[in-house]
Amino acid sequence: MQIDETLLQRLEKLSFLQIPDEHREEMIAQLSEIVAFVDNLSELSTEGVDATFAMSDTATRLREDAGSVDRTINDDILSHAPHSQDHFFIVPKIIE
Amino acid sequence: MFETIIGLEVHVQLNTQSKLFCSCPTSFNHEQNTNTCPTCLALPGALPVLNKEALRKAGMFGTAVGATINRTSFFDRKSYFYPDSPSAYQITQLYTPIVEHGTLVIDFEDGSQKTIRINRAHIEADAGKNIHEGSISKVDLNRAGTPLLEIVSEPDMRSAEEAILYLKKLHSIVRYIDISDANMQEGSFRVDVNVSIRPKGDEKLYTRVEIKNINSFRFIQRAIEIEVARQKEAWEDGVYEEEIVQETRLFDQVKQETRSMRGKEEAADYRYFPEPDLLKVIVDDAMYADICSIPELPDAKKERFVNDFAISEYHASLITADLENAHYFEEMLSLGISAKNAVTWLIVELQGRLSGGVTPSTSPISAVMLGMLVKRIEEGVISGKAAKEVLDYLLENGGDIDEVIEKLGLKQVSDTGALEALIDEILNANADKVAEYKSGKDKLFGFFVGQAMKASKGSANPNTLNEILQAKLAQ
Repeated sequence: MQIDETLLQRLEKLSFLQIPDEHREEMIAQLSEIVAFVDNLSELSTEGVDATFAMSDTATRLREDAGSVDRTINDDILSHAPHSQDHFFIVPKIIE
Repeated sequence: MFETIIGLEVHVQLNTQSKLFCSCPTSFNHEQNTNTCPTCLALPGALPVLNKEALRKAGMFGTAVGATINRTSFFDRKSYFYPDSPSAYQITQLYTPIVEHGTLVIDFEDGSQKTIRINRAHIEADAGKNIHEGSISKVDLNRAGTPLLEIVSEPDMRSAEEAILYLKKLHSIVRYIDISDANMQEGSFRVDVNVSIRPKGDEKLYTRVEIKNINSFRFIQRAIEIEVARQKEAWEDGVYEEEIVQETRLFDQVKQETRSMRGKEEAADYRYFPEPDLLKVIVDDAMYADICSIPELPDAKKERFVNDFAISEYHASLITADLENAHYFEEMLSLGISAKNAVTWLIVELQGRLSGGVTPSTSPISAVMLGMLVKRIEEGVISGKAAKEVLDYLLENGGDIDEVIEKLGLKQVSDTGALEALIDEILNANADKVAEYKSGKDKLFGFFVGQAMKASKGSANPNTLNEILQAKLAQ
């Protein structure tokens, strides 16, 4: 896969991140390397392998439906949020 | 001539105690962000563990609509960036959902039916809520991670009416099998409508427009009608291609129009891929057996009511459409009253007196009270007419049936001794009319009944009165 300026712009948009000009070339190079590395997997023959194949054949664990919550934990998390008020997380205005 | 094509997506909040992937309670109206934990707040390292009950309830829906229940299904990750989802993705089931290929039968008023295909029903996690206030938005994540069942129909509906019939049936089914509170106002039954039009006879599907989050059946009907009119007009004006684009629109109840929700941004790119934090979901034999046995469905209950109680199909469908109503009716019958009388007093008398969204079960009249009232009529304690007065009084003031009957002085006199004395008096006072009656003027019977009723101030049991009067006049 070719990583170029167009794709980088798209990735910025999808991730809501902005890459500064001085890092763009470096970022393109690193992303290309990562993709090339992962691309090694394409050498494996997957013929006859079911699309749902997984490393583990066990089923996902199920939890009994009982409610419980520890208020001190969410208090703590909120107090570490960049902005919070009246037990709300505060974010910049979202235009809907 | 155009044909309307409608497909519906309904998000049903499953009524579990805890969230889909963590133990946080799902209860409504708690203080903001108090029902949250590292998992539903998507803190690094916190992992999802699937709620067994959510899986079971999703499967029960599959049974209710005669669908395939996939014994092995998978979760997928749908990426999107919005503050109501702290993980920046939603865990859902795209490729292999738990439920596929079901059907739902809708009933028209004339008795005809139509089968609507259900493409799929999949489990996914709900998002939180945002409150917009000036230059900031407040985020409450109490709802984030609540289990949803998204039920997707095929585009099989051809009118707003059919869409509403489908939704009402679906609503009824999820209430009957008790997998959701399905409260539209509280958002536990959310409807997205996909609408397109095409010239009649055309087989191809044209551009569909999605109308999101409309919170009442009436508004859904209206939104569809308005959107169809917009599309037809664009077609007739020759601007269909330019004006009707695949997009999400919002229904404005005040302006009575649908409006584009988003600008001309590029199509959303959700980058779906198999959810790496969860293994495959297996419905084992024990759970499968459990999923296959579900409570009685509305159609079955209706049929049973018709067969067992000899009430009309129409009345049976009115009563069974709503689970609370059906329970109300069954509770009335448990007092040993006739089904026919129960139907009349429930549908005609009680419901006829209720307005403003009040239902029998939310009214001040309990099923036992109404059943008792009917019982008193059947026992001859009060007349039907008096019972209506009692009902009016109870709706206004509440109280105990027998006390109210006593208080309003509506008790019928069935005491034959008292009635006989009263009738004797009338016959003696009208000896001339008695003679006329005996000489063949049958019509005068009504006169005597009227006089006797009047003398008893309307409290005489009409049957007893007739019997005594007939016996005395035959002497």
